Amino acid sequence: MHVLLIEPDAVQATTCTTALQRDGHSVARVVSAQAAVHAADQRCPDVVLLELQLPQHNGIEFLYEFRSYHEWLHIPIIIHSFVPPRELQHAATLQRELGVVRLLHKPQTSLAALCAAVKASSSVAA
Amino acid sequence: MGLAEQLSRPFLQVAQLAELAGGATDQQTVAAHWQTVRAISESSLQLVESYALSLRVNGKVTPLQLEPVTVSSLLYDTAHSLQPLARQYAVELQLEPGPRAQPIIADRSVLQAALTSLGQVFVAAQAETEAPSLVRLSAHRSRHGIVAGLYSHAPQLGADSLRRAQALHGRARQPLQRLVSGPAAGVFVADALLRTLAARLHVARYRSLNGLAATLQPSQQLQLI
Repeated sequence: MHVLLIEPDAVQATTCTTALQRDGHSVARVVSAQAAVHAADQRCPDVVLLELQLPQHNGIEFLYEFRSYHEWLHIPIIIHSFVPPRELQHAATLQRELGVVRLLHKPQTSLAALCAAVKASSSVAA
Repeated sequence: MGLAEQLSRPFLQVAQLAELAGGATDQQTVAAHWQTVRAISESSLQLVESYALSLRVNGKVTPLQLEPVTVSSLLYDTAHSLQPLARQYAVELQLEPGPRAQPIIADRSVLQAALTSLGQVFVAAQAETEAPSLVRLSAHRSRHGIVAGLYSHAPQLGADSLRRAQALHGRARQPLQRLVSGPAAGVFVADALLRTLAARLHVARYRSLNGLAATLQPSQQLQLI
């Protein structure tokens, strides 16, 4: 699978990329929402891994923009963030309307669990 | 809360690196992981120590140890302590101590802890850009005193946004979103430390770079010596 990783932190991006590549995925890493749209335009991802806390913009803005493009409507999105799911007021909306297939809280998610979520996303239609 | 959220980041990085190192067979890769763990741990310890120092000094548990301090040597030591983290994030540190400035009377440990905490935020912020570039540690004279601070190509913060961020610190997850995606705890630790020296963190612009700095008063007494 081709994974679009939207992760501002360089160390976390490296660890996630390494783990996903070991699992047989290809990874394109970007640091911002704007760069993510550009990267998806260059090569359509099979799954998007998103940190909600981004510089300049936030991940929710990205979600709405990403889903506004018809060709990306069915790409599964996994939120992998420091923001705990219980603090997301519209978690149900994110999952139902914006095609977020998993909400993963970073401090409670090992790299193995992240890879498993990416693998499982292939069978989930957003 | 801001510091707790800040520290969850290096803890997560260390946990992930340990998980990766566990599955790695190549010794060179494992060594690189441990080097990263060391740089992350050391900078996190510095932040915790700086925070503790700010509490001790503000609570008058530890008195200020005032002494003559030259800003250029302070910047040099700060750059030295930031170097491992900057190397890890591929950020270039530039040191520009400025013209020979008069010494100031200050607590050297407090000032250095403030600048190092601030520097950590700037390094992390640069690493979040598409092309990490540089963080400049600089001092120059102004009509108000000696301006010592850190600068980068990050978008300029307004004085209002810094004030708002100070009000939001501990409550918002991204109080300084224009600068860095995380809690930016180092900025607020630096501000707390500088306040103990009757200085304040302020928005600054110098030689086409944007940053945060403190204006320090040169000692009139030392000028006579």
